[in-house]
Amino acid sequence: MALEFDTSEIEYMSYSGEHHLPLIMNLVDQELSEPYSIFTYRYFVYLWPNLSFLAFHKGKCVGTVVCKMGDHRHTFRGYIAMLVVLNSYRGRGIATELVSRSIKVMMESGCEEVTLEAEVTNKGALALYGRLGFIRAKRLFRYYLNGVDAFRLKLLFPRPEPDYSDSIKSVADESEEHGDGMPPEERIIQ
Amino acid sequence: MAEADGGGDAKAPLNSSIPSGKDTVWFDVSSLLHRACHDLRNDELINGENFNLFAAMSALEIMDPKMDSGIVSTYYSVDEAIENGAAPIPLSFDRTIDVQCVIDIMDHFLACEATWHKGGSLAQTVFSCIYLLRPERTSSHALLHSFCRVIRATCSALVSAVSEARTNEEEDLFTMAYGLPLKVNGDEKCLSMIHAVDETLCRQLKACKAPVSKKTVLEDVEPLQTHLDLEEGFCKAVLCRIRFRKHFYHVLTCLRKPQGRGLELAKKHIISCLSELDSMLKTEEFLRDNSARGTVENEDEKTTASGCQPVGFDSTLNSRSAAPTPPRAIKLLSWKKAVDYFRKLLHDLDVICSYSLDPVFEGALRFVVDVQKFQPDLVARAHIQLLLVQDGKLYGRESLFAVICKAALLPEGAKNHDIQKNESVQQLGQLLITLFRVLCTNTAWQRRKLGKILQDWRIIYVQLELAFRKEFGETASTSVEQDLLLKVCKHILIWVEEQTYWIALRFLMVGFELELYSTDEYCMVYWYIYIILIKLAEKTHLKIMLSNDSSRRKSKKKKGFVKDVGKDYQVPPVVLFLQCYIHVSQGLMMILASLRNENNIILCQGPFNTEHERFVQHFELLQKASLPDHASFFSFTETVANTHFSTLSMHNCFKDAQKIAKELRGSFANDPDRLGELRQIEQVAEHNHVALNLLCQLGSLEPSLKISFDFIHHPHFATASVKRS
Repeated sequence: MALEFDTSEIEYMSYSGEHHLPLIMNLVDQELSEPYSIFTYRYFVYLWPNLSFLAFHKGKCVGTVVCKMGDHRHTFRGYIAMLVVLNSYRGRGIATELVSRSIKVMMESGCEEVTLEAEVTNKGALALYGRLGFIRAKRLFRYYLNGVDAFRLKLLFPRPEPDYSDSIKSVADESEEHGDGMPPEERIIQ
Repeated sequence: MAEADGGGDAKAPLNSSIPSGKDTVWFDVSSLLHRACHDLRNDELINGENFNLFAAMSALEIMDPKMDSGIVSTYYSVDEAIENGAAPIPLSFDRTIDVQCVIDIMDHFLACEATWHKGGSLAQTVFSCIYLLRPERTSSHALLHSFCRVIRATCSALVSAVSEARTNEEEDLFTMAYGLPLKVNGDEKCLSMIHAVDETLCRQLKACKAPVSKKTVLEDVEPLQTHLDLEEGFCKAVLCRIRFRKHFYHVLTCLRKPQGRGLELAKKHIISCLSELDSMLKTEEFLRDNSARGTVENEDEKTTASGCQPVGFDSTLNSRSAAPTPPRAIKLLSWKKAVDYFRKLLHDLDVICSYSLDPVFEGALRFVVDVQKFQPDLVARAHIQLLLVQDGKLYGRESLFAVICKAALLPEGAKNHDIQKNESVQQLGQLLITLFRVLCTNTAWQRRKLGKILQDWRIIYVQLELAFRKEFGETASTSVEQDLLLKVCKHILIWVEEQTYWIALRFLMVGFELELYSTDEYCMVYWYIYIILIKLAEKTHLKIMLSNDSSRRKSKKKKGFVKDVGKDYQVPPVVLFLQCYIHVSQGLMMILASLRNENNIILCQGPFNTEHERFVQHFELLQKASLPDHASFFSFTETVANTHFSTLSMHNCFKDAQKIAKELRGSFANDPDRLGELRQIEQVAEHNHVALNLLCQLGSLEPSLKISFDFIHHPHFATASVKRS
C-alpha cells in the first residue's frame, strides 16, 4: 500500500559514517534476495563513501543506493551494486533521485561509463535505468541462482573527443549566419 | 591499517594443552589476535600489500562449508551418513517397502538429472545420492545396483559429449565432476545388467498375471514383493522406469555414432523413451495410493511419483570435498517437471535426428537457426554441434573447402584445387567451424560471440585477397591456371562478404529475441538492419550472377549462342526474399522516425547522455568492423531527419513487401519453413500498412491514443498498432 507523502519531504544524504551502515544493511537485507555479509557493505562504503546515498522520510531511512567505481580493463567505470527503496515509498522517483546523485558523482569523478546487472523480469528497474540512458548491453543466461536471466545495463557518458562531422556542420552553419563569403573548406576547422 | 603478522615485541608462549605431534607444533596466539583486533578501528577490514579489500570481502564466503565453518550440515562426511543409517542396504527387509523405496530413488534421480541439465551441479543433484557415492555397497541389490550403473554411465556419456562440444557457455557447472565417482569399473556392462533385471521382472509380471491353474508351473519365480494384489502394479512401475533408462542410454550412444549413422536408430529409441515416460506417469496414482511412508505436503513440488521423500540423498555431503558448488542448496525440479523436461529434450533430439544432413552450407545454417527456435537446452545443443562438426569436417564427411566451394557456387571440380592448402584458406575453414559452434550456443552467449567474430571475418577477407594475389603471381603460370584461380578467388571472396553480412544481420535480429532493445531504440536498429540487408542482398545477388556468368560463358563456348540477359533476367528468389525484409525494415524505420519528428514520442533522450551514445554502444562492434563502410550516427540522423507521414516511399514499402511475398509463394512451394516465413512477412506488412494509413489520417497522435510495437507476427519485425488507451 503506497504511503501518502509529499516528495519534498524526502531528504537525501551522502553516506557519512558508521551510523549509516546498519540503516543500509537493514534496508537491503529486507528487500533484496541476495544475502550480503557485513564485509561486503564495508567494502563499498569504506572505499567509496561519496557514491552511497540514503533517502530519509521524517527521520526514517526509506531508500539507499550503494556503488563503487574503478578501472576495469582500461575503462574507468562506475558500478551500481545495490539500490533499494521501501515498498510503500516506491513509484515516487526516490530511486531515480538516489541513482542520479550517484551517477553525477561518477561523471564528475571521470568515469567513462556506469554499469549494473538487473533481472530481466525486473520491469521497474529496467524502466528506471532506461529513462536515465542505460542500454541493455548484454543478456546473461541464467545469471541468478534461481535460473533467471539478467541484463547488463550500461550508461555511456558523452566523450569529450571532437566529432568532426558535427564541427564541419556547425562551421558551415556559422558561415551562413555571418555571410562573410568564405567557402567552408577554407575555414579552419576547430 | 593493521597487519596480521607476528609483531616484534612479544613472543607467543607454547601452550602445552595441545600436545605437539610428530610434525606439528602448536602455539597459542590468542593474545596476539586480541591485540591485532584492538588495533583495527571500527569499520576497518584486514588488508595488506597482497590482500586488498576486495580480496578480503571475497574471501569471506558465507554459507559455504569450505569457507564458513559455522555452517552446520547434517553429516560431515559420506561415511558418517552411512554409519548413521542414511543409506541402508537393503532399503528395507520388508520387500514391498524396499521396492517402494527403490522406485522413489529412481524418480528422485530423474528430478536430479533434469535439475543438473538445467544448470545445477552434478555434486548437488545426481551425486547427492549416497548409493552412487559408494558404488560397491549396492552390489547385493541387483535392481538398485544396475540402476545406479546406468545412471552413472548416462551422466558420464553426457559429460563427455558436452565437454567435447566445448562451447564454453555460462553453464560451465555442467561438466564439473571433480571428486565424484563418475566412471566406475563395470559401468560399461550396465545395459546387460539392466537387461537381466528386465527379464526377471517380465517373468515376475507374467507369474502374477497367470491364471491359478498355471501358477504351479511358474512357482519357481520369486515375486518382486510380498503383496500379491499389488505385484502387477509394482512390476509395471519398475519396468517402465528401467526401460526408459535403457532406451535413453541407447539414444545417447546412437547420437554419437560418427557421420550421423545412428540417427535413424536413435529416433526409434526416442519413441520408446517417450512411451515409457507415458507409462511412468500412468503409474503415479498406483504409487501414491500404495505408499507406505509419509507423503510430502506440496503435491506440485514432490520429486517422486508416490510423494514420499526418497531414502539416501543428501545434497550437502559433497560441499566439503568435491567440485565447487554454490553454497545454497538448489531447488530440485519436481518429478512432473522433470518428466516434462525429458519430453522436451527428446523432442529436440528427435528434430536433430530428422535432419537430412544437407551437404549445402546454407542448409546447415538454416537447420541450426531453425532448431534454435525451439530453445533447446544445453544437452540438445551440444549434440547439434557434435553432429555438425566432426574431425574438422561437416558431419564428419565433407571437407570444409568442398563446403566453401559449393556454397560459393563454384563448379564441382573446384574442391580439388591446390589453393585449399593455403594458410588463409585453412583459417577460413576454421572460422566456419567456429561459426557453427557459436550458432549452437544459447542465444544470449551466441549474440556476444557473433559480434566478436565480425572482425575476424573482415580480417580474413583482406588476408585472402593478399594470399590470392600472391598465388596469382607465383604459381598460376598458364592462362588456364590463371582463369581457374581467378574464378575460385572471386567466388570465395564474394561468399566471404556475404557470410559476413549474414552474421551481422543475425547479430542485430537476435537482439530482438533477447529483448535487448527498448522501443525508443527500434528506429536506429531497423535503420541498421535496413542497411545491412541491402549489402547482404547485393552480395548474394553478385554471387549468383557471378556463377550464372561462368555457366553462361561455358554454354556460350559449347553451344555458341548468346542469351539476352536484359530482357529475360529474373531476380533470384532468395534475393527477392531479402528484398521483402528490406522493404519492411525500411517501412518500420520510417514510421518510427515520423513518430519522433511529428509527435515527439519514442525519443531517445536522457539526463546523462544522448542518442549518439546509445548508437555507439549498440553498434560498436559493427562500426569497428566497418559494416558497412560509411555507416555512422551522422548518416542515421540524416536519413531520419526529414521523414514524415506524408513521405510517399514509406507507403509503398509495405505494399511492395506484400506483393513480393505473394509472388514468392510459388518459388518456395516445396519449402514449408520459408512459406511460413513469407506468410509472417505478409502479415507484418499488411498490419503495418493499416496502422500507417491510420496514422496519416489522424494527422497528429491525440493523447488518448497509444501506439505500440509488438512481435505478434514475426519474432524480428514488429507490428505497429494504434489503440485507445
